[in-house]
Amino acid sequence: MATALSHYLESVRENLRLDHSVEREVIQELETHIEDELQELKEAGLSEEEAADTCLTLLGSAKLVARQIYEAHSQGSWAQALFAAMPHLLFGLLFALNWWRGVIWLLGMLVLILGMAVYGWWRGKPAWLFPWLGYSLLPVVAAGLLLLYLPEGWSWVAILFYIPMALWLVFSITVKTIKKDWLYGSLMLLPLPIITGWVLAVGPVDKFPEYWLQRLQDLAPWIGLSFLALAVAVATFIRLRKRWLKISVLVISGLLTLALVAYYAEGSLSIPTLLILIIVMLILLLSPALVERTLRHTR
Amino acid sequence: MAQRRELIKGSFDSLILCLIDQQSMYGYQIIKELEKRSQGYFRFKEGTLYPALHRLEEAGLIQGRWQMLPNVRQRRYYHITEKGLRSLETKRSQWLDFLTAMNLIIQPVSD
Repeated sequence: MATALSHYLESVRENLRLDHSVEREVIQELETHIEDELQELKEAGLSEEEAADTCLTLLGSAKLVARQIYEAHSQGSWAQALFAAMPHLLFGLLFALNWWRGVIWLLGMLVLILGMAVYGWWRGKPAWLFPWLGYSLLPVVAAGLLLLYLPEGWSWVAILFYIPMALWLVFSITVKTIKKDWLYGSLMLLPLPIITGWVLAVGPVDKFPEYWLQRLQDLAPWIGLSFLALAVAVATFIRLRKRWLKISVLVISGLLTLALVAYYAEGSLSIPTLLILIIVMLILLLSPALVERTLRHTR
Repeated sequence: MAQRRELIKGSFDSLILCLIDQQSMYGYQIIKELEKRSQGYFRFKEGTLYPALHRLEEAGLIQGRWQMLPNVRQRRYYHITEKGLRSLETKRSQWLDFLTAMNLIIQPVSD
């Protein structure tokens, strides 16, 4: 097949962002179409090059074809939407119903999140996996932060061993997610600025744990509400077909939830801190697109 | 030209269902058949057929199956489903009603 046509198929493949099995079928189908077209054009008297050029013109834009095929497949079912929203919903209920004080609830939640993340990864990374994956990385980050508060002299263990290992794990999972589709990277990272916002709103670290627990108790209904809002946003994300709408839902829901955090934090979050959080959120949600582009160029 | 494109866009799914209802077909065959039967009226960017086929398949109106050819190549043939048949029936009756109503207004009244 002519190089231009191979490039056409490669461009379609790169812009599809679907499961590998679907991608393979789409490309094979287009390849067969091109072979039929080329054969007919050559039988009509065109040279190899002329036939390839005519074929490209008849097919139309590779990006448009890929985008339209993506939209045909990108809408998840209601069950998938519920599955994807579930970790936010559970996290929200943990606070809204005051379950966060129960060790059994916390452990159960941890096991469920890790179990779902491993199961989804093993089942070929469906769209519902990524919110679970985001939450499954939280204990890794939290454990690293807690290690920093070990008795003096011991925190070097965290700095030397745990933190590089945890960073490598988070980085490699994020890159693998972005390779599938950068939007899933954003979906995975969505709760991170919200959690950071609530941690800052709860209070200074040196007043841990008495003051913290009291503040957490006071803010629990609003923390719950913010994660329920994220659950609705994620379910909407899964049900939408168009990419620009999916991106908009993530960005708008992220910003609105941060506004909710700032409102209920009652002055605990200063304006500069809130602005920094907004910038961090935008970077987290949109930088996966740049990482994906860089990865493609490297390949 | 733009008007014609809009008209085709609105009826594209019905045209595909109609053709596949008569016989299982593959993408290239559908394009050629549409062009031939409409005497060249239905001509469009060929790549846009595949999103429509995938959309119809996702909606459960058609089903694609790979078939091995004698020269070891494979082709994806599309068949209409029960749901597709019901949808086509509705679309056909809507289209005929629309056509009748349009004719009543557009065609000059004969004395």
